[in-house]
Amino acid sequence: MGLSELLSTYGEKYLQGLLATWSMTAVSFVFVMMLAVLVTVARVSPYRPLRVVGDLYVQVFRNIPGVALLIIIAYALPELRIVLDWRTCVIVTTILLGSAFGSENFMSGINTIGVGQIEAARSLGLTFTQIIRRVVIPQALRTTVLPMTNLLIAVMLTTALGSQVPLSPQELTGVVSYVNTRATGGILAFLVSALCYVGTAFVISLVGNRIDRKVRILR
Amino acid sequence: MSAARTLSMRDALYEAPGPRTRRRVRIGTAVSAVVVLLAIAAVVRQFWVTGQLAPRYWSLFLQWTTWRFLGQGLLGTVAVALTAGAIALVLGLVLMLGRTSGVRPLAALCRVVTDFFRGVPSLLLIYFFFFVPAQLGLKLPSFWMLTLPVALAASGVLAEVFRAGVNAVPRGQVEAALSIGLSRGKTMRKIVLPQAVRYVIPSLIAQLVVVVKDTTVAYVVSYPDLMQNARVLITSYDALVSLYLVIAVIYILINYAINKASVAVANRTGVKIVR
Repeated sequence: MGLSELLSTYGEKYLQGLLATWSMTAVSFVFVMMLAVLVTVARVSPYRPLRVVGDLYVQVFRNIPGVALLIIIAYALPELRIVLDWRTCVIVTTILLGSAFGSENFMSGINTIGVGQIEAARSLGLTFTQIIRRVVIPQALRTTVLPMTNLLIAVMLTTALGSQVPLSPQELTGVVSYVNTRATGGILAFLVSALCYVGTAFVISLVGNRIDRKVRILR
Repeated sequence: MSAARTLSMRDALYEAPGPRTRRRVRIGTAVSAVVVLLAIAAVVRQFWVTGQLAPRYWSLFLQWTTWRFLGQGLLGTVAVALTAGAIALVLGLVLMLGRTSGVRPLAALCRVVTDFFRGVPSLLLIYFFFFVPAQLGLKLPSFWMLTLPVALAASGVLAEVFRAGVNAVPRGQVEAALSIGLSRGKTMRKIVLPQAVRYVIPSLIAQLVVVVKDTTVAYVVSYPDLMQNARVLITSYDALVSLYLVIAVIYILINYAINKASVAVANRTGVKIVR
């Protein structure tokens, strides 16, 4: 099957797949960021139970394979009378996995600041909220631009889990297996999807690098 | 990032508390403890009202045969993970050497290959090895249908890990080696690589986690790994929730152990984890 034939028959499917991957990635990443902030706040809070839960959350979702989590959410939760539609299942899986890594990024961002700066800020008479707002958050955000760019790409790659459930419209990986069960798509069928992924990742890292160069703190 | 430093930074955020703050922290701790306990209770209750705590879902874990079957699956997982890891190690090193070789076309090619494998989901690669060799009339055993894509996906990442290690070797050493008359290849082999590899050993161990995670889609190519064997048990015992949860915990513990090992090696050798 040539490229023109492939695209004329399945071109629309690929386009829908690309849009599905993009939209799931975007929605997931917004929630990943919010949840990562919440988990990180819990992990640095002075309340021990919250710290323990936050650390446990990160360990669990950092180490669980994506497929295992998706299967639990998609097939085990309905038995506990929690039924989500397929798309939501994939997005929730991606959010849970991504936010654990996001929180780790924030934590190492906080850790690069150094105890001395906090002590200096306190000796200047800054209050706790001032320290957090003026010293910790600006620096932590700047140092996490690059890791978060990589996380966004990772989130996009994680949405490929959508090929394991009957999504409609399918995302890029699902489209390929759809095409190949119907026709002999060959290497080309894969290359189209792969280039969509690689191209998106390329643009994301280009933008991420540019932002990083602008805000990076030279030490 | 060591655990001790994390803790000290966490604690540095707070001043030594006075009596009033101490009381407030105590109240907050109590409240948050209650919230956490309530959440756990809600989860347990949901299991209870849906009948998922019934002994018939959990009694299979008391049988020796269950664990033997899962153990066989685990062996399958380990076989794939180690083989894929070994292939990725070699391929990643080759890709990195090509990229830093200084030969323009070779460097460009290795860069494209590295970025390609890093930018494509491993599932897509697995589907590739599932469909394409068959379409070309090649019969690939399911072991390789799984191992090759997992290895390729990891090799892209490992190439970058190795490159980070090479970059961490002080530039002056390369200059010194070249100035005493060592060739480029010899400098790489005798001076840079031995140090670079030592720098990245913890990261290499940590990457094994990604490999183990990638092997869980073995059921796509119906290779008997831990997950696939669990699915077989689910159809024979009709115990979906309990089995998937136990399998997830097993995977989490394996990966947690790998991460711990990586940190332990990093602490013992005194190198920072290069990513």
